Amino acid sequence: MMQTLAVAEVAQDGSRKDAELGVVADKTVALKVLIVEDNSFDQELILRELRRAGFDVNAALAQTPEAFAIQIRGTCPDIVLADYNLGPWRGMETVEILRREKLDVPVILVSGALGEVEAVECIKQGATDYVLKDSLARLPIAIRRALHEKQIEHERQRAQQDLARKAVELARSNQDLEQFAYVASHDLQEPLRMVAAYTQLLAEQYRAQLDEKAQRYIHYAVDGALRMQTLIQDLLTFSRCGRADMDAEVSDCNLILQRALDRLCAAIEESHAQVTHDVLPTLPVNRSQLEHVFQNLISNAIKFRGKEPPAVHISAHPEADEWKFFVRDNGIGIAPENTGMIFAVFKRLHTRSEYPGNGIGLSICKKIIEQHGGRIWVESQSEGKPSVGATFGFTLPTTRQRNGASS
Amino acid sequence: MNMNEVDILLVDDSHEDLELALHALRREKLANKVFAVRDGEEALDFIFCRGPFSERTFDHPPKLILLDWKLPKVDGSEVLAQVKGDPRTRTIPIVILTSSKEERDRIKGYSLGANSYIQKPVDFEQFRETVKTLGMYWLVVNQPVPNSHAVSA
Amino acid sequence: MNQDSAVEVLLVDDNPADLELTSEFLSRSRCTSRIHTASNGEEALAFLQRAGEFVHRALPSLIVLDLNLPRKPGHAVLAAIKQDPSMRQVPVVIFSTSQAPADIQRSYELGANSYVRKPGNLGDFTFAVTSIGEFWVCCANFPNGDTKKTAPTATLTTKENA
Repeated sequence: MMQTLAVAEVAQDGSRKDAELGVVADKTVALKVLIVEDNSFDQELILRELRRAGFDVNAALAQTPEAFAIQIRGTCPDIVLADYNLGPWRGMETVEILRREKLDVPVILVSGALGEVEAVECIKQGATDYVLKDSLARLPIAIRRALHEKQIEHERQRAQQDLARKAVELARSNQDLEQFAYVASHDLQEPLRMVAAYTQLLAEQYRAQLDEKAQRYIHYAVDGALRMQTLIQDLLTFSRCGRADMDAEVSDCNLILQRALDRLCAAIEESHAQVTHDVLPTLPVNRSQLEHVFQNLISNAIKFRGKEPPAVHISAHPEADEWKFFVRDNGIGIAPENTGMIFAVFKRLHTRSEYPGNGIGLSICKKIIEQHGGRIWVESQSEGKPSVGATFGFTLPTTRQRNGASS
Repeated sequence: MNMNEVDILLVDDSHEDLELALHALRREKLANKVFAVRDGEEALDFIFCRGPFSERTFDHPPKLILLDWKLPKVDGSEVLAQVKGDPRTRTIPIVILTSSKEERDRIKGYSLGANSYIQKPVDFEQFRETVKTLGMYWLVVNQPVPNSHAVSA
Repeated sequence: MNQDSAVEVLLVDDNPADLELTSEFLSRSRCTSRIHTASNGEEALAFLQRAGEFVHRALPSLIVLDLNLPRKPGHAVLAAIKQDPSMRQVPVVIFSTSQAPADIQRSYELGANSYVRKPGNLGDFTFAVTSIGEFWVCCANFPNGDTKKTAPTATLTTKENA
C-alpha cells in the first residue's frame, strides 16, 4: 500500500517534471542500464531514484574499464550512467570505449562535484548529459531526454538513408528511361525508312496509273511517315543529350555559331535573313550540342518571322561565374502567357499549318543547357506591340560542370 | 600545324597538282589540316613517325592519304606496300591519285591493298570535282577505323 | 547510253526491302551502273566465282556488302573474297547498320576498302547511297577493265537480279 502510494506520488512528481519536456510517463518504462560506479551506496541511490521515477530497471554494474568493455559487448544497455571520478580511471573513458566499439549508447555522467567548465567539456567530448549526485531527482528526466534524442536521431538517419536510396533509384530509373527512349527511337527509324521510302517510290513509279484520289491518299501517307521520321529523330536527339558521354572541351563559341549558320544557310538565304553577332567567348562546352542549341534558336527566329525579313542578333556578356547569351529576333514574338510552357516537350503554340515543326526543339535546348549547368529562358516584348520579336537567353558557366552540378 | 592533327596527307611530286588539290579541299571546307610531302621517303617518314616526323605518334593517323603512283626516292607502290603491310598503319585509308592510265598499275594498286584508285582527270574543273567528291566520301561518309584520333574541326 | 562503260556492282543484302532500295537509289546515279543482287553469302560467292548459273557473268567492279547475312555472316564472305586471288582486288564497301567499333575494326582488318554506316533515317540513307554512287561509280577506277565515265548525262541502267 505504502509502496503504491509512494509510486503514485513520485509518478505525479515525475509527470509534472516530465510535462516540462512535453513527455508524459504514465506507465512503467523498461530500462536496461549499465552503471559504472565504484561506490555501492551511490549505486543504490541511483537505482532507487530510477525505480521511483517509474522505470522498470534492469541494471548491470561495471567498476573497471575491462569489466565495462565486456558488459558492453555482451548486453546492449539503453543507457550508461557513469561516475565522473572512479579513482584510477575516469567515467569519460566509457565514452571512448563506446566510440571504439562503435556503439551508439548515451552516457550520462553522475558526479559528486563537477564544475560547469568541466561539465561542458565532457559534453563536448561526447557525454550526453551530466547530473550532480545531490540532485539525483534530475536523473530520470535526463535519461528520458537522452533516450528521446537518440530515437529522433535514429529516425533522422533512417530518413536520410531512405532519401539517398530513392535518389539512386530515381537516377537509375531516369537513365533507364533515357536508354529506352534512345533504343526505341533508334530502332524505330529503319522500319519507318521503309514506309517512307516505298510510299514515295510508289507515288513516283505509278503516277500515271493513279487517279487523283489515290495520289492524295499516298501523299497523306508519305507526309505522315516523314513527320514521324522527324519526330523520332528529335526524340533520339532529346534522349541522347542526357547521356553520360557528354564531353565538354574548351571551345571557341564563334566557330560553333559559324557551323550552325552554315547548316542554316539555305533557310537564311531563302528568307533573306540578316544574322549578326557579337564576339562570343571561349568556354568549356560540348561542341555538337551547343551547335544544336544555336541552330535551333536561330532556326526558330527565322521560322517565326513576321512580315519583314528576319533579323537575328546573337550577343553575349559575362556575369559573375557565367556568360549570358541572347538570341534576339524581330519576328512574331511570344505572348507573355505562353513563355512558361514553351520549353515543355511537344508543346506547340501554333498549328502545323501555320508554322511547321513538332515542338521538341526547345525542350532539347533546355536539356542541353541544363546539362551544362546553365539555364535558359525567353523574354518577349510582344505585349501591346506586335512583331517586336522574342529574345531567348541562356547561360553557360565559365568552368566545367557535370550534369548540372557545380564543379 | 600539329603533325598529329593532320586530316589528309597528300603525297605528290607535282607542284601544280598539289596546289590544285589543296585549293579544292580548302574551297569545300572539307579538311582544315592538309599536309603535303613531295616524295615517297618523306611520306614513309611521316606515316611511320620517324626522321623529321619523330614527334608524331601512331595513334593519331591521318584520316586519308592521297598517294601519287610515280614518286621520287621511294615509289608509290612501295609506299603502299609498306603502309598496308604494317599492322600499325594498315588501316589508314589510302587512295591512289595518279595520272597513270595503265591497267597493271590499277591491278597492282588494288592488290597491294589500296582502298581506292583514281586517275587524275586532265581537265582542271573535273580534277576539282573529283577532289571534292573523294574528300566528301572519305572524310564524311566513310567510317574510319575506331580509336583513331577524332580531330574536331 | 554506253553499256560497255557501265560499272558492274554486286549488292549483297538479305533484306529484300533494303536490297531494292539501295539498288533503286544507286541506279539513280548520274553515271551508268549495272546492278546485280545476292541475298546471302553463298549466292554472292557463287556469283563472284562464276560458278554454276553464273558462269557467264563478268566479275563485278564493286561489291557492296551487308554484314548481317544469314548462314554465312558478312565478315566470312569478306574474308573469302579477300583471300581468293581471283577476286581479292575487287573493292568491297561494307554497308551496314552496325556502328560497333569491333565490326568496323574487323572489316578493315579483313581487307574491306571502305565502311559506310547504313542509316535508319530515309534522308541520311539516300545521302549515303548517293555518296557511294558519286564516289565509286562516278569517280573511282577499277582493276578489271576500265570503264570510265565522266559523261554526266547517261542515267539509264539495267537492273538485274542475280
